[in-house]
Amino acid sequence: MAITRRELITNIVKAGVPAAAAVTFGAPVLKAETIPTPSAAVGLLYDASICIGCKACVSACAEANDTPPDTRGDALHQAPTDLNDLTRNVIKLYKPADGSQFSFVKRQCMHCLDPACAAGCPFQALSKDPQSGIVSWTADKCIGCRYCTITCPYHIPRFQWVGFNPRVTKCELCSHRLEKGLKPGCTTVCPTGAVIYGPRPALLLEAKRRIEENPGRYFEDRIYGETDNGGTQALYLSKVPFEKLGLPELGPESVPARTLRWQRRFYQYFALPAVLYAGLVQVIRKSLDGHEREAHQREKETGLRAQL
Amino acid sequence: MSETLTPTTRPKDENAWERNVPVYGFPVVNGFFLGLSFLVLIAFILTAYRELAGLGPVSGMNDAFGWGIWKTFNVMVLTALGSGAFAVGIAAWVFRRKRLHSLMRMALLTSFLAYACGLLLLGVDAGRPWNFYWIVFPWKWNMHSPLAEVAICMSIYAMIPLAIENIPPVLERLWYFDSRLRPGVEKMEKRLHSAFPYVIAAAYLLPGMHQSSLGALMLLAGERVHPLWQTPWLPLLYLGAATFMSFGCVAGTTMLCCLVWKRGMDMEVLDEAARITAWLIFGWLGLRFADIIFRGALLTAFHLDRFADVFWLETLLVSGGGWLLYRSLRTHEKQQMFLGYILSSLGGMIYRFSPTTLAFRPNPQALYFPATIEVLVSAGFICLGIVGFLLAVKRLAILPAPLHEWHSMAHYFRFRRPYIRWTGYFKFGYFGEDESETASSD
Repeated sequence: MAITRRELITNIVKAGVPAAAAVTFGAPVLKAETIPTPSAAVGLLYDASICIGCKACVSACAEANDTPPDTRGDALHQAPTDLNDLTRNVIKLYKPADGSQFSFVKRQCMHCLDPACAAGCPFQALSKDPQSGIVSWTADKCIGCRYCTITCPYHIPRFQWVGFNPRVTKCELCSHRLEKGLKPGCTTVCPTGAVIYGPRPALLLEAKRRIEENPGRYFEDRIYGETDNGGTQALYLSKVPFEKLGLPELGPESVPARTLRWQRRFYQYFALPAVLYAGLVQVIRKSLDGHEREAHQREKETGLRAQL
Repeated sequence: MSETLTPTTRPKDENAWERNVPVYGFPVVNGFFLGLSFLVLIAFILTAYRELAGLGPVSGMNDAFGWGIWKTFNVMVLTALGSGAFAVGIAAWVFRRKRLHSLMRMALLTSFLAYACGLLLLGVDAGRPWNFYWIVFPWKWNMHSPLAEVAICMSIYAMIPLAIENIPPVLERLWYFDSRLRPGVEKMEKRLHSAFPYVIAAAYLLPGMHQSSLGALMLLAGERVHPLWQTPWLPLLYLGAATFMSFGCVAGTTMLCCLVWKRGMDMEVLDEAARITAWLIFGWLGLRFADIIFRGALLTAFHLDRFADVFWLETLLVSGGGWLLYRSLRTHEKQQMFLGYILSSLGGMIYRFSPTTLAFRPNPQALYFPATIEVLVSAGFICLGIVGFLLAVKRLAILPAPLHEWHSMAHYFRFRRPYIRWTGYFKFGYFGEDESETASSD
């Protein structure tokens, strides 16, 4: 007999009420504001309006991170066209065809306050340091699934496509240099001070000072990364719209907070799956009893061994 | 054909599926099987090459398209086709559509093979597979990551509940193989049956979780997935697509097998499956369009670009398939029903394939097209599943068949393999074969 309506409704109520209670009361409300800001968040401030595109930071980055220079373009110059498995930091040029305002842009990891790459990483190979807030990659935990290259809204982590032991390359804010009291490689060589390093609150103050001193100079008089994507530790100032520099307008809520809200609630403490499981066991136990009884009945009738 | 049924229990339909009967009278190894095995061998050799050379030289994957067909087709699409154990199982065990029990073994086998081959290829696709050992330390999991959910849940599901659900046909074969094994086999069966409610419940909970989490994977990609596909309802739509696609896969494969190996088709069972599939399709289409309309993304479906093409192709295939299935309930035409299953499953496959590949736009210049080696490996792992399927249906009682098929098989084997004591195949099994009932025409 098919499941009766009364039984179905009873089962839904039996499983659904505790489940709804578990989801509603068990799960804390997840909002961008509740994500803890690292106690000593450090970061970069990049002012695209004073960058001259000399690419000194690109070679300084490679040197600081002890990676061979990426000369795959013309086999002579270290001139990567984009981030790749040897390049954690790159200078790109935005030059519109109509001859209006052009701009350089320095691309490296934004060290988001709520990083999407770490939210998606299955075994926490990408993790955010609770003190400095630096998002770094751990080789021992990475399974090479490349989900970070899909999730990162800035398209920063790059996978090494050649070789049996591939690595994920991304800016880690030269954390090995910070330990020794040095600054990140890119900030040590910039001739115009377009990129500077410091604690995030200090960088925000500096950026606001620049905006106040030069009204109308910067796009929307706004700091990209102050609230964008839940806030980032790399901050940007620019004359041209940020979207033209590859910094999408993502709104004040971080990508994981916005998209994984229900995913997180459903799996909070595993409460909802556990309740569902208990309900399923009850229903199936009853079905199995009936099914076995019928099968043994058939076995007696046909003389053939029951197939369950 | 032998007549062993007493008149009181004689089924009305000559073709009513009563038992699962192995495919007999056909050799396992034939040209087709060897061809598939050759493709599997090529795939294994290329896999070894991939492990040494890395992913770049063997695939079309690049920085923009980090995922190729190994993940997006062999795992995302084919495990949806292989969700039969989940969808057909829920209909049979939870909603007690009893007729569907005759399709259960097909569902369990196709699911197991689809998941096993998908997981194997997932291991090949992973860049650093040696780090998978973290899976045994639950406190190292990132519990809120959809990918962790998929990877962990899928492997646990395929290795524990789904594998256990597939044990009964194997035990049954052992039971018939030698009467000396029977006490042990019966003891194991008893234990298995006492654990079954817990195993089966896990086998419905886990796929429900990971088939929806497969959709949740692309939520984090945000704007880069075309608005026709990117929706907060993606997990539910993925799960829904998996349900009707897997019905199509199970019922369609069964129909195909009946055609190839000349088995009777029980139209009562197939009608029931088609009815459920048709309503699943209509419900899914309703949800899909309601979501698109309420999000205000409908206009993008009328832009003249490849996304709109893919969307309409997928919608036409799914709705056309659903309509054919619904029609076949009235017209009772098997061709229509089969075509309905094929079309709706194809549409579902395109839907499951789109968010990661066809409708994924990391940047305007980015292109992805699978490399030859990539396609060969992908095809090889599909062939591995087909090889396993052919082996299983010819050695185990998987395919449903009318009762007379069982007796024909018993006769066939007694004639072909006289040196084996085929006890239990005949009425009133064990050693007393009821000759008067079983030996008749033939």
